[in-house]
Amino acid sequence: MGFEIKRFQGDVDEELICPICSGVLEDPLQAPACEHAFCRACITEWISRQPTCPVDRQAVTASQLRPVPRILRNLLSRLCTSCDNAPHGCNAVLKLDSLPSHLVECEFNPKRPMPCEAGCGLVIPKDELAEHNCVRELRALIATQQGKLTDYQQELAEQRLIINEHKRELALLKEFMRAMRVSNPTMRALAEQMEREEVVRWAGSLARARVTRWGGMISTPDDVLQMMIKRSLSESGCPPHIIDDLMENCHERRWPPGLSSLETRQNNRRLYEKYVCKRVPGKQAVLVLQCDNTHVDEHMMVEPGLVMIFAHGIE
Amino acid sequence: MANIAAKRIKREFKEVMKSEEVAGGAIKLELLDNSWTELQGEIAGPPDTPYEGGTFLLEIKVPETYPFNPPKIRFMTKIWHPNVSSVTGAICLDILKDQWAAALTLRTVLLSIQALLSAAEPNDPQDAVVAKQYKENPTLFALTARHWTHAYAGGPAAIRDFDAKVQRLLDMGVDEHQARVALSTYDWELERATEQLFNREE
Ligand SMILES: [Zn+2]
Ligand SMILES: [Zn+2]
Ligand SMILES: [Zn+2]
Ligand SMILES: [Zn+2]
Repeated sequence: MGFEIKRFQGDVDEELICPICSGVLEDPLQAPACEHAFCRACITEWISRQPTCPVDRQAVTASQLRPVPRILRNLLSRLCTSCDNAPHGCNAVLKLDSLPSHLVECEFNPKRPMPCEAGCGLVIPKDELAEHNCVRELRALIATQQGKLTDYQQELAEQRLIINEHKRELALLKEFMRAMRVSNPTMRALAEQMEREEVVRWAGSLARARVTRWGGMISTPDDVLQMMIKRSLSESGCPPHIIDDLMENCHERRWPPGLSSLETRQNNRRLYEKYVCKRVPGKQAVLVLQCDNTHVDEHMMVEPGLVMIFAHGIE
Repeated sequence: MANIAAKRIKREFKEVMKSEEVAGGAIKLELLDNSWTELQGEIAGPPDTPYEGGTFLLEIKVPETYPFNPPKIRFMTKIWHPNVSSVTGAICLDILKDQWAAALTLRTVLLSIQALLSAAEPNDPQDAVVAKQYKENPTLFALTARHWTHAYAGGPAAIRDFDAKVQRLLDMGVDEHQARVALSTYDWELERATEQLFNREE
């Protein structure tokens, strides 16, 4: 629908008026043969009712409509208009083609989002600010959030129930498997084989990492740091049967003889370069898994591998 | 869309007011409500027609979907014309129906209706009785149309003979408009009109 003609300064040429809405052409299209021009919205609406030119009734279909010539577009873009928000106090006079960008930032826009300064801090359309009541708004907000909270709590309770069921089933299954392993050597061999393959598969899924500064090593990480690393390992798909052992091996007290003290570490620094390191995803830490490092000297490795945490220097 | 309708009608109203036809007294337009949906049009009977000297009022209703749909227009002044219902005032005019185009305006529509009074289309009638008379007895049709113009539209020419016949039926207690319709329908034969009127009442 076209622009209100009263918004424009001076006379507007008849050519620039849409014969359907009688406003100044907005995003115009023209009929192919007669070249009558209309706003896109107007002519689309008309053609959806009947496929004719609204001026001379020549046959026209939607797909035959064309953009108007550049000269017409130039004439339109040069028209000077007032802002949409003139009734709200905006005095800006703009070329038609710069109107859209002005509207985005026009501070007289009654719907402009404004933060409430009376205390609640909610962001609300400017024209609702006068009627705005912090307490009422916040109460409404609390009501909806309480509703959501109730829903979540219900969902949580249901999920807990399901999880507990799964836990019981899992415990039973584990117990069963343990019994099988103990009583049957073939099963034991099979289970150990499966566990080894799982570790290899997991190791293959991790990205290679390079340690640029071995000096940044944290050999006595605290509990908080350890929890973070453990969580990341778990999320990366670390097989559960090695995760606790791996985490034990993140502290120098469990490291192999070649790493156990600062002194030995300094002596053996050149051996570090032989390690195949994997990144602990998202962390400044690497995994040196035994399955990746069969080539390394025994005094530099422990089962099932090492976790080394750094302050920086991991790529 | 309602927004477009009001905007268009405001503009068209001004266009009509500034037009030479209004200045010359050929058409008039009046607003009946503030929402720009109901207007009253007025057209002068064209010269050299039986409607000359008469003033015909039109009811104009603007639909919410205007100008994508035509305005709804009917004669409020009773008129004897093949393309206008002598009962309801409904108009049979293509541009008010399937030949409507969004660029047409109240001014062009009023002028088209006025033109219809100069050039009837008896082959596309709204009122079959009138159309039949128009084709079979054009002289009588013209007199009847003139008589109606005098009776309802302030036309200057009274037809003495017709007035007398209407008066006869009035004396019998018949309603004036009913009397005129019956006489016009039966080519001003008093006997047949009387018969039809009184048979109907049984
Ligand atoms: Zn338009
Ligand atoms: Zn055209
Ligand atoms: Zn502005
Ligand atoms: Zn507030």
